[in-house]
Amino acid sequence: MSRRIVPHTAASLAAACNEYRTLDQRGTSRRTFLKGVAGSGALLLTNSLFPSLPFVAFAQTPREVDTLVVVFLRGGMDGLSAVVPVGEGAAYYDRRRATAIPEASVLDLDGFFGFHPSLAPLHEIYQGGRLAVVHAAGSPDPSRSHFDAMEYMERGTPGVRVTETGWLTRHLQTVPWANESPFRAVAMAHMLPTSLQGPEQALTLDSLDGFDLSMPDHLRPDLERALRDLYRDAGQGSDLHVQSDSLFATMRDLRTLAADDGQSRPDAGYPDTSFGQALRQVAQLIRADVGLEVACIDLGGWDTHEEQGGVEGQFAELLSELASGLAAFHHDLEDRADRLTVVTMSEFGRMLDENASGGTDHGRGGSMWVMGGGVNGGVHAAWPSLAADALDDGDLAITTDFRDVLSEILVQRLKSPGVESIFPGYRANYRGIIRPGA
Amino acid sequence: MLHSSLAPVSPELHLVNRLTWGARPADLARMSDLGPAGYVDWHLDHAAIADPRIDAFLAEHPILLDDVYGIRRALDADYDSVYRQVMWGRIYRAVASERQLFEKMVEFWTDHFNVPLPDLIPEKVVEDREVIRRHALGSFRDLLLASARSPAMLVYLDNASSHKDQPNQNYAREVMELHTLGVDGGYTEQDVDEVARCFTGWTLQQGWRGEMVFDREIHDDGEKVVLGHRIAAGRGIEDGLQVLDILATHPSTARFISRKLCRRFVADSPPTELVDEVAATFTATSGDIRAVLRTLFTSEQFLAARGAKFRRPFESLVAMLRALDPAVHVNDQWLVTYTLERMGHLPFHWFPPNGYPDASAAWLNVNGLLHRWNTAMVLAYASQGWTDGAVTFDIAAVVPAAATVGALVDGTWLRLVGDPIAATTRRTLLASLDDASPGESVTAEFRSEYLPPLVGLILASPAFQLT
Repeated sequence: MSRRIVPHTAASLAAACNEYRTLDQRGTSRRTFLKGVAGSGALLLTNSLFPSLPFVAFAQTPREVDTLVVVFLRGGMDGLSAVVPVGEGAAYYDRRRATAIPEASVLDLDGFFGFHPSLAPLHEIYQGGRLAVVHAAGSPDPSRSHFDAMEYMERGTPGVRVTETGWLTRHLQTVPWANESPFRAVAMAHMLPTSLQGPEQALTLDSLDGFDLSMPDHLRPDLERALRDLYRDAGQGSDLHVQSDSLFATMRDLRTLAADDGQSRPDAGYPDTSFGQALRQVAQLIRADVGLEVACIDLGGWDTHEEQGGVEGQFAELLSELASGLAAFHHDLEDRADRLTVVTMSEFGRMLDENASGGTDHGRGGSMWVMGGGVNGGVHAAWPSLAADALDDGDLAITTDFRDVLSEILVQRLKSPGVESIFPGYRANYRGIIRPGA
Repeated sequence: MLHSSLAPVSPELHLVNRLTWGARPADLARMSDLGPAGYVDWHLDHAAIADPRIDAFLAEHPILLDDVYGIRRALDADYDSVYRQVMWGRIYRAVASERQLFEKMVEFWTDHFNVPLPDLIPEKVVEDREVIRRHALGSFRDLLLASARSPAMLVYLDNASSHKDQPNQNYAREVMELHTLGVDGGYTEQDVDEVARCFTGWTLQQGWRGEMVFDREIHDDGEKVVLGHRIAAGRGIEDGLQVLDILATHPSTARFISRKLCRRFVADSPPTELVDEVAATFTATSGDIRAVLRTLFTSEQFLAARGAKFRRPFESLVAMLRALDPAVHVNDQWLVTYTLERMGHLPFHWFPPNGYPDASAAWLNVNGLLHRWNTAMVLAYASQGWTDGAVTFDIAAVVPAAATVGALVDGTWLRLVGDPIAATTRRTLLASLDDASPGESVTAEFRSEYLPPLVGLILASPAFQLT
């Protein structure tokens, strides 16, 4: 097995702004402690210590409620390079040189905007009317700090950092149905994202594969009981106790899931990256009807201060991973598309002017996408134009508040009765991005 | 919010656990020799502490002492070996160094001035040695200046490619938001623009990343105003130096650094009065890190915060290895290093500039807990060959000889945790050992069947995972 972690090439050394790239995009070796143990032959896992439970028994979620998948593009995605305003002509091409996407290369959307060529897999979905592209979207708070901007968006309260819960958590708190499934809210991540912070149980999983305890089978019942008791004795209702119980419930259900059919289509074409595999596993949970209501997946690497590239390069490669992943997910679950909504968001767009490093600094307006069976396909942009007097502090102005997009999804597709408390003090403007669910 | 109903540990164990990467019997003995104040002072004078295991380790791993050129050559020759040594070096020094508080401060500043390793291996290795380790217990101002000049930071936050015609704001923003003032520290977008202009010209020669150069040709020498201070036109590198002075001595910086230190060493949400007190020392001593830590560790709020921190994955792994030290031996360094990947805490692999999170909310989740428990179990069962020799563990060396099962449980707990076992915990552990009664005598068969799970459960237990 190769243990090479990062291809040691001139290209990787040149691409120096890597604040948001995740480990797995670097082709990290997947060798793990657990695999090392399993390979020794000393460890045999059983699947049958717990009776198989019918998952649907957990959830009283109405059948007409969509599963929502939130893809957060960390680092500030350059909406102007992804959804190119070719109709702006010189107002765009005079400001962008190294990062410009020539008109001849774009995939036309509506005569004014065109997709970056790396988005070809999504262009097909767009043409089928299943993808809505929102432009000049973002948060009204002017912070250009990654961390502030992400926190504000994920808490759903721009400018207010003390909000204690995430917007997805408040959604789960305000719906009228019960759903005790441990898979109700899932983040495919090492750590829980802010949007799911708060008292509702959300599950953090880096992978569904091999998610089980390493211990000898004949001692397993005793050792599991001991761990349960040790963590319960740390304090009834303490975080330690709650997370421990949740871990046992998750392992039980994943064993059942592993034994089930309903795997993803092997030919779906998910990229072999952590992002692609996270999408594949979320699709697997959806297919297994385990009561999943919201899922969060991150894709990092968008903080392209340097060597961003144009038609080709760092940004193009990342877009390609994003597009092929989303397209694979869409095709994998085509039969369930009318119960599925995917939204992509990022903390801000990039500056209109390039910097001296062939990159772009933190800007304002960006692009959000909504994919699913219920969307009104097309470009939804109250386009502010790139004319000098239309810019916000020199950059693309924001004419669609991210909460407009999320509110419309929550109300139309997730039957949210409490959008006022999810985004307190905000009255959303619906843009007709998505149709009401049946 | 992290809370537990576990009985608080002794004040002595608390201090040792917070100043070290996990209390071993020898650490507790030193603590009782020196007393709390003496023990803190002993750690703060880190250069006076002999460190033979680390001296030997560095002699065997000269790459960690090499310069950028040498490391580049070594990478070309055997990339994986260098990569492994750098990451394992981080773990090994935390486990084996006698300069434990120093190593904890290295961790703190590594997060504070975060630079991820993968694209910058030679620069990061040099920065770890010449910036972080050189100043970890020195003066904050010196540390900040060394970081600003370091090729690793200049490349990572793009200042090396900034230019007077198009200043790159990446470093300018983060040096205020993350390294000094904090996001609420009182700077404006205008200040970000101006600081970016001040740092134009702080760059590296093409193809050379040995040290920073100041390039007057690309420096914006116009007048600037930073946080209300006028920076005169017509100067060069002095602009950036003056900015660093303004930042290092700003009251927001004293408060921001003090709060982060209190979060690291006291509690996730540290008491405001303590932060104020520590910040007062920071200001009074112009950022003398030793003085700041002395105030922190001798405060009543520190003593009151027993059990308030959930060990981060890296701390948890290191504490396990220390608890089993010297009976555990890691032969396959990758295997152990990658336990941290699945817990999201691989050394030097946090890509945003703010460093790994330092609150239990980020780490106490289903995924992290599973991999933590598995690490404990796999280390314990290494004594029975589970890892095919990747890790060897002589379990008899850490489990005291005991005639009865009760004495065995009590003794093993005391050896690994450092405090006597609580009655409920004792009952739980006994129940898991084939429902043994405390008075039952320990047979050879019992030892072979139940020592590994006993050690694994203790390492996985909440008492071990909290400090």
